[in-house]
Amino acid sequence: MRWLYKLPLRFRSLFKRGRVEEELSDELRFHLEKLTEENVARGMTAEDARYAALLELGGVDQIKEECRDMRRVSWIENLIQDVRYGLRTLAKNPGFTAVAVLTLALGIGANTAIFSVVYGILLQPLPFRDASRLVLLNETTPLVGNMSVNYPNFLDWRAQSRTFSEMAAVGSVHFNMTGISQPENIGGLAVSPNFLSMVGARPVIGRSFAPDEEKAGTAPVLLVSYALWQSHFGAASRAIGQTIRLDSRTFTIVGVLPPDFRWVEKCDVMVPIGVWATNNSAATNRGERGDLLAVGRLAAGVRIEQARTEIEGITARLAHGYGQVNTRSGVKLQPLRETFSGDVRPALLVLLGAAICVLLVACANVANLFLLRGAVRAKEMALRIAIGASGGRIVRQVLTESFLVALLGGLVGVGLAIAGIPAIARLIPPDTLAGASVGANGAVLLFSAGLVVLSMFVFGLAPALHSASGDIQSELKEGGRTTSAGRRNRWCGFLATSEIALALILLVGAGLMMKSLYRLLSVDYGFRAERVLKMEMSLRTAQYDKAPAVIGLWQQTLDRVRALPGVESAAAGTAIPLTNDHSRLDITVEGMPLLNPGGFPHPDMHTVSRIMRRRSAFAC
Amino acid sequence: MSKPTDLVQGTLDVLILKTIALEPMHGWGIAQRIKQVSKEVLQVNQGALYPALHRLEQNGWIKAKWGDSDNNRRAKFYSLTPAGREYLEQEQAHWQRLSAAIDLVLEAS
Repeated sequence: MRWLYKLPLRFRSLFKRGRVEEELSDELRFHLEKLTEENVARGMTAEDARYAALLELGGVDQIKEECRDMRRVSWIENLIQDVRYGLRTLAKNPGFTAVAVLTLALGIGANTAIFSVVYGILLQPLPFRDASRLVLLNETTPLVGNMSVNYPNFLDWRAQSRTFSEMAAVGSVHFNMTGISQPENIGGLAVSPNFLSMVGARPVIGRSFAPDEEKAGTAPVLLVSYALWQSHFGAASRAIGQTIRLDSRTFTIVGVLPPDFRWVEKCDVMVPIGVWATNNSAATNRGERGDLLAVGRLAAGVRIEQARTEIEGITARLAHGYGQVNTRSGVKLQPLRETFSGDVRPALLVLLGAAICVLLVACANVANLFLLRGAVRAKEMALRIAIGASGGRIVRQVLTESFLVALLGGLVGVGLAIAGIPAIARLIPPDTLAGASVGANGAVLLFSAGLVVLSMFVFGLAPALHSASGDIQSELKEGGRTTSAGRRNRWCGFLATSEIALALILLVGAGLMMKSLYRLLSVDYGFRAERVLKMEMSLRTAQYDKAPAVIGLWQQTLDRVRALPGVESAAAGTAIPLTNDHSRLDITVEGMPLLNPGGFPHPDMHTVSRIMRRRSAFAC
Repeated sequence: MSKPTDLVQGTLDVLILKTIALEPMHGWGIAQRIKQVSKEVLQVNQGALYPALHRLEQNGWIKAKWGDSDNNRRAKFYSLTPAGREYLEQEQAHWQRLSAAIDLVLEAS
């Protein structure tokens, strides 16, 4: 109940200080006048009466100060006073302020920028329901390592597994999109109908896939990505039901994916796995692999190791049942989050560590600056202590100045980072980015705020404690600064040493990395790559189904390219050295027995994760 | 000027509260009334009076209003809040217990 009276008083004390002070003066003046009257009534002269009254009342200013203490908002008032004083002091020393703020801005800005990348790629939660329970499965062989999943194997896993509550197949598909102004090569996913519901993504408009769209021969339908919907269909709802031509087949759009959906690979369109299975021997043949992976959701309470054991067991049973084709396959299970750029995690964390080292160097620098400035202000601090300021008050005041510097440095740093992040994001290869958004979002800003507070303590505490503990007598004397100077020098020495050590670590690390990079770039490829351009064409339409048509087109292309000014020579081939592309041809020699079709003919041949069709070719 | 001890401070509080329980009064009036009623025995330390009044006000036991004094000058009049009235009763009872106890100790031989 007392709060009814207390709150308005607090409010007045904070915001109407002038009025409150006036009233206090009036009140005491009234009392003084009454006292004076009384004295006059006792027979004193007016002057003596007033003088006696003053004596009797005591120190008016001290009474006022005690009344002010009672106001219970003094800590807020002190804080405001500290901030005002701190700002004035910083403004009076623009050189010091500028250097300190810029130093911190560099440290905090670098950290903000790097952390935004780390957050976007490594930490940001995937836009899936319960993403930590999703697991990616692929098959392995001892020779090659990771391999695609064989579709009939996947069907068996799905049917027999108890550790996975749901499983879906996800395959990579590529199409030439035609029928629009400029034919485009787009990439997408072929998924089991339960994939979207399993990961918790719902189409923004339209429908998801129906269970029977898993079967080969299903009608060609697809979902478009949000970005494609915006760029090619103007984000119009009548896009549903429209058709687009992919690889000389007509697909009907049945829905649009949500804007935040992302996958390890680029997904412009999503087709049901039935479309992939149509006319595809990899859908039924246990020896063939398409570009397929399996994704599963762990059942409640199941750990990934249990799932791994079970799937390995199923695979072993299958190997036993299907003989030589499956004998050498193993299985690899990975939490889905790790497959999204897990391989750049060490590099990113090293970068973040380096950025933190930079911030520490910056903090040590600023702490040094503060300490040196403390030397200049030692007299002022000693005087304050002498007239009654408590040590805590001085510490608070110096900390406030540190906080202001840290805050300004943080603001400038975040500003620099926001300006620089788009440039950094462009450097990241799209495969690593995997659709992540790298920017200064809430989490990144929170991180920067935390850095500001932390650095304020790191560089502010030592100077603050030091200035409060100065020896008053020696400070106030003209030449007596030896003792505290000794301690200050020790602090300065410590800080300078740490700075040099950290900077040296960074320099050596950077130097080693640059050397490695230089060596990598200087590796001899075995061919000369200067002034060589490559061009890719995928011929997927019915027009180029047969070899003569393909050869004819390529011949024409080569002739035209050779005729271009500036082209010395041109050639065509099926694979570029040093890329991920392989193609596999079976060679039969006259007089030797035919190899088992679809089998793995020779243990030394690379098994491929992507089997290129003969119709695709490259021109160099 | 030394700060009053807790005992003295508490006593001053209860005297002030009792004085303004009957009618609102300004600081000078309170000091005069206490002197008068106690037959000149209790002379309030005027340096302690105003901090005490302000403390009681900040704690919500008394409230203040500006009004005209007897010779038409502006003065700050204090009166009790309901919480203050309760507090007064409590403190009065406490004081009586305390003084009775002190009497007992002093009279015991």
